[in-house]
Amino acid sequence: MTIGEKFTSAFIAENRWQLYLKGLGITIEIAFFAAIIGLILGTVLALMKLSTHKDGKPAAMSYISTAYVDIIRGTPSVLQLLIMWFIVMKSSNNGVLVASLSFGLNSAAYVSEIVRAGILAVDKGQMEAGRSLGLTKGMTMRYIVLPQAMKNIIPPMGNEFITLLKETAIVGYVSLNDLTRAANLIQSRTYEAFMPLIGAAVIYFVVIKALTLVLGVVERRLRRSDNR
Amino acid sequence: MKKLLALVLTGVLGVSVLTACGSSSSAPSAAAETASTEVAAASTETETASASGSALDKDTLIIGTNAAFPPFEYAGDDGTPAGFDVDLINAIGEKLGKKVEVKDMEFDSLVASIGNKIDIAIAGMTVTEERQKMVDFSDPYYEAVQNVIVVNGSEIASADDLKNKKIGVQLGTTGDFIASDIEGSEVSQYNKAVDAVNDLLNGRVDCVIIDANPAQEFVSQHAEELTALEGTQFGFETENYAIAMPKGDAALVEAVNQALKELKEDGTFDKLVAENITGE
Repeated sequence: MTIGEKFTSAFIAENRWQLYLKGLGITIEIAFFAAIIGLILGTVLALMKLSTHKDGKPAAMSYISTAYVDIIRGTPSVLQLLIMWFIVMKSSNNGVLVASLSFGLNSAAYVSEIVRAGILAVDKGQMEAGRSLGLTKGMTMRYIVLPQAMKNIIPPMGNEFITLLKETAIVGYVSLNDLTRAANLIQSRTYEAFMPLIGAAVIYFVVIKALTLVLGVVERRLRRSDNR
Repeated sequence: MKKLLALVLTGVLGVSVLTACGSSSSAPSAAAETASTEVAAASTETETASASGSALDKDTLIIGTNAAFPPFEYAGDDGTPAGFDVDLINAIGEKLGKKVEVKDMEFDSLVASIGNKIDIAIAGMTVTEERQKMVDFSDPYYEAVQNVIVVNGSEIASADDLKNKKIGVQLGTTGDFIASDIEGSEVSQYNKAVDAVNDLLNGRVDCVIIDANPAQEFVSQHAEELTALEGTQFGFETENYAIAMPKGDAALVEAVNQALKELKEDGTFDKLVAENITGE
């Protein structure tokens, strides 16, 4: 087969390009919902981990959060997905939901560490200043510490989103047709590996490059106030 | 200028890394998934035949299979592939005077791996026109038909009943091709047929289309919940399993066919069928 024929059979014949597009849709859908779950749950977990009693000792919530992060980080995400699919949500027919939840719960553990690091990077004096001005602990956290922490959080968070998007490539294990599985599927029809695999890789790259550019813009905006 | 130079250098580096991965396949890194049935030869011999020479020139033949297709191939007690196909290819190897090394891999990548990663694929593989464009097949050694696995009491009984149904299959198998052609069908492709059967039990798919022998194997494990229906009542055609070899390696095809013929004549073949498939 010539390159042209290979290209035709991998992308054009039998409208195969639609498979890549549909696959990309599934990939983005899962990554998007997982990112939202991860962001919310991750922030909650970070705050739980940082919570202390009045005497400065870690609160019970802190231990729960630590245990969660340890368990999630200590097991492979493929296994978490399989457990979610075949055991926990055995009766659910909605593959995207199961996958989003699985990746969301996974991502939350990593996000919580990013948020925690971001908060700890804000000078201790900020909290003390807020408290001495009569704000409660919660108010200081919300209005003074978290906005400053955001700037530390955004770059590693972008990194986490990119990792998450690529990690969804394992959903073929539970028969979801994401972008990687679409390439597999076409390979199993044409018996030709080069075009579908390189094609899928290029699509991933383009999507992630676009995401990187958007994150760059956000970062630059947040840094604007630095230049006085 | 500097930027351009950096870009070019990055490109060169990237390309060289890619090609390096492509050409040096002699590293025995796949040892973990490799099950050698005889003492593995020196690692230099794991190189597969190039397009020019015949695979027959080598001392060790690398065999690809997908050990998730009982009783033809499955993970044996020690984790290495076992079953009818594995026994058959070992017997053929003996006839040819070659060592045989069986590798377990995904079914959908078997055909694309022939001639580069592996020399021969034996995996209950049906001869199809599409596959014949990429590889050469031996004479057929087994006849089979697809079965439809349903839960007991299912209304599915004829070809018409399969329309607009959720069908579970193994990726790249004949069942996959059949299911994808059924009108309005929603096909879930799994890496392993047993995952499809699990999802049938979980109610995620309405039926599973898979070759008769594995189907009966799976059903026998869940006899109270599942039934395997004969494919003939759905109008599925009989298929021939054959051994797949690199396109154009006529010497190898001929040698394998000859060995297959001898095995059938001396009764070894029937013995293997009895041991593995009909279960005596």
